[in-house]
Amino acid sequence: MGMIKRAACALLALALCAGLSGCATDGGAGQRLTFQIWDNTQKAAMEAICAAYTRAHPDVTIDVQVTSWSEYWTKLEAAATGGTLPDVFWMHTDEMLRYADGGILADLTDLYDDAGYYEAHFSQGLLDNARGSDGRIYGVPKDRDTICLVYSRELFDAAGVSYPDESWTWHDLTSASQAIYDATGKYGYLAYNDEHLGYWSYVYQAGGYILTPDGKHAGYTQPATKKAIAFYVSLQDEPWCPPQTFFAETEPATAFFSGEAAMYFEGSWGLRSKLEDYPSMVGKWDVAVLPACPDPLSGDGRAVISNGLTYATAANGKNLEAAKDFLRFLGSEEAQRIQGEQGAAIPAYEGLQDTWLSVFDSFDYRINAEACLSMFAYSVQSPNNAARPAWKTRVSDEMLRVYAGETTLDAALESMQRTVDELSNR
Amino acid sequence: MRISAHDARWGALLAAPTVLGLLALNVYPFVQTLALSFSRTQAFGRSTFAGLENYARMFASTEFWRATWNTVYFCLLTVPAGVLLALLTAVLLNQGVRGRAAFRAAYFLPMVVPPAAVALLWKWMFNARYGVINALLGTSVGWVTDPALVLISCALVAVWSAVGYDAVLLLAGLQAIPATYYEAAALDGASAAQRFFRITLPMVSPTLFFVVILRAMASLKVYDLIYMIVEQSNPALPYAQSLMYLFYREAFIAGDKGYGSAIAVWTVLLIGVLTLFQFSAQGRWVHYDS
Repeated sequence: MGMIKRAACALLALALCAGLSGCATDGGAGQRLTFQIWDNTQKAAMEAICAAYTRAHPDVTIDVQVTSWSEYWTKLEAAATGGTLPDVFWMHTDEMLRYADGGILADLTDLYDDAGYYEAHFSQGLLDNARGSDGRIYGVPKDRDTICLVYSRELFDAAGVSYPDESWTWHDLTSASQAIYDATGKYGYLAYNDEHLGYWSYVYQAGGYILTPDGKHAGYTQPATKKAIAFYVSLQDEPWCPPQTFFAETEPATAFFSGEAAMYFEGSWGLRSKLEDYPSMVGKWDVAVLPACPDPLSGDGRAVISNGLTYATAANGKNLEAAKDFLRFLGSEEAQRIQGEQGAAIPAYEGLQDTWLSVFDSFDYRINAEACLSMFAYSVQSPNNAARPAWKTRVSDEMLRVYAGETTLDAALESMQRTVDELSNR
Repeated sequence: MRISAHDARWGALLAAPTVLGLLALNVYPFVQTLALSFSRTQAFGRSTFAGLENYARMFASTEFWRATWNTVYFCLLTVPAGVLLALLTAVLLNQGVRGRAAFRAAYFLPMVVPPAAVALLWKWMFNARYGVINALLGTSVGWVTDPALVLISCALVAVWSAVGYDAVLLLAGLQAIPATYYEAAALDGASAAQRFFRITLPMVSPTLFFVVILRAMASLKVYDLIYMIVEQSNPALPYAQSLMYLFYREAFIAGDKGYGSAIAVWTVLLIGVLTLFQFSAQGRWVHYDS
């Protein structure tokens, strides 16, 4: 009995030693980096980029970790507070200023020896996304996106309505919706309570704005802003648009791809995964540019909200130099090309936008993804300031009250204006 | 009886893991929360003293009072009905039914399933268009989108998942009642109802009290269930948002940890007052028989 016990102890001790030494050699010889992202559909592309980097740097291993969008920021903030951020991670414009101004992110202004590297390869708008309030660069531009009108060829054909094109205005959107509803009983355009994929583009098309360019004041009470949001909210009363309670239970994309609706707005980042996730729908839908405002208070009625992500690292990261070297690669033409060719997202790197199109050739029906790129000509940067996380939920709650009929739109816009102004100047 | 110094040392040593755990994981965070509730917080753990600012804002907010009412309403919906059902189930399980172990396992099962999975399944069953409940009833009720129904639907799920656990606790209490009491009552010609109200209820009341306290606390702290069923895009959210849900949105989505902490402190006070009240009222109905 004693013998067996002693043997078991020895075995256990041996196993523990083996485990420890295993770790030691891992950490000692090579460099391990963690790379945190939120979009599972881009994981393969990010891994392909990592593979390209580690081929040239065999001593480095990079571990791509995915945390869903809904938990990403809670986790990242906890990690930032505790000083345990991943080595490299995605930043979103909504949170950029908070993290950059909070001293969390490493200053990447001098990442490249060539001082003009950023300006030479990334647009001014994308670089503005990457800056903190002090004007320094805290993120390497990753991608850029637009929003497009996804439409059902099947339902348009069934109703005998011609497909959306460049000439479309808001009127065409509503009349086509009505015609399709009358002919097929299916929903037309899905107008749901959302900023980025909802009313924001309408606001800028009408000549209004959500925030002043300096981010200090809101524009909810501007006549053009009011006009656009009033139009968007009024769609809810049309028989061809489901009520907001419908969207509380069913995602717009789910409704569309189950054949329940004819049109909705989708981000360029979501197109490839829709083709992959709904193989039986390939060929039955396509994309077009957003319809324009027919009578804008200023401008030509065209606008689309565009955004872009960046890659960032922590200011006090333990592997800062290794992370910076990887970041240099992430901003290189090679890495950005892989991102585009894998169909992950439209590369931020100037001149590589078209690489993103090739992924759509591999499907039986080639959607008009060019529409997404053509809109960069009049795209508007997604409104943002450091108080964005604080006012985002308040504005969304206020809009829900409008939809529920608990408050009038005018009162809600006044309240949103006050809230955003106050939070933005705290 | 006197405890020797040796025994006392052992006692302290054995209690130490729990005490240290409580201090590190409950007491220290609570003190921090209390301090945060008097602070204006910025991102990443920085804060400045702000006096009663958060509380003033909280008490002036209609959203906050609505969340408080929602929480109390949810408690009223789940505790009496849930405990009553659990008692009924326990009494039935305590009869000599065949396959009692199987029944007991079946009733306990919802407790073993992760709450998130339970909520997700029910969410689909509640779906107004594609849900099985409306399909069976032939209705098109917005179970989780109608402001008048949303909390009742959530309460239904909460009761469903807790009944089995509470029943097993109560069953243990029932089985501790000596059979001789019932035999004596039967000899005296007591009816089944008399036996239940004169013997079963008083004898099981300490367990019942424990279950009521447990269930009340759990329902006042409800968060995960409502969070999973009622998304933030749901127009019925204001009518379903519990205090802990509001706390989560303020502290982690809007990023205002100070204001969130004030909500947490208020919830602790609310639970404390209700629990104190229950303890002071227990003399009226709980019988500790030795």
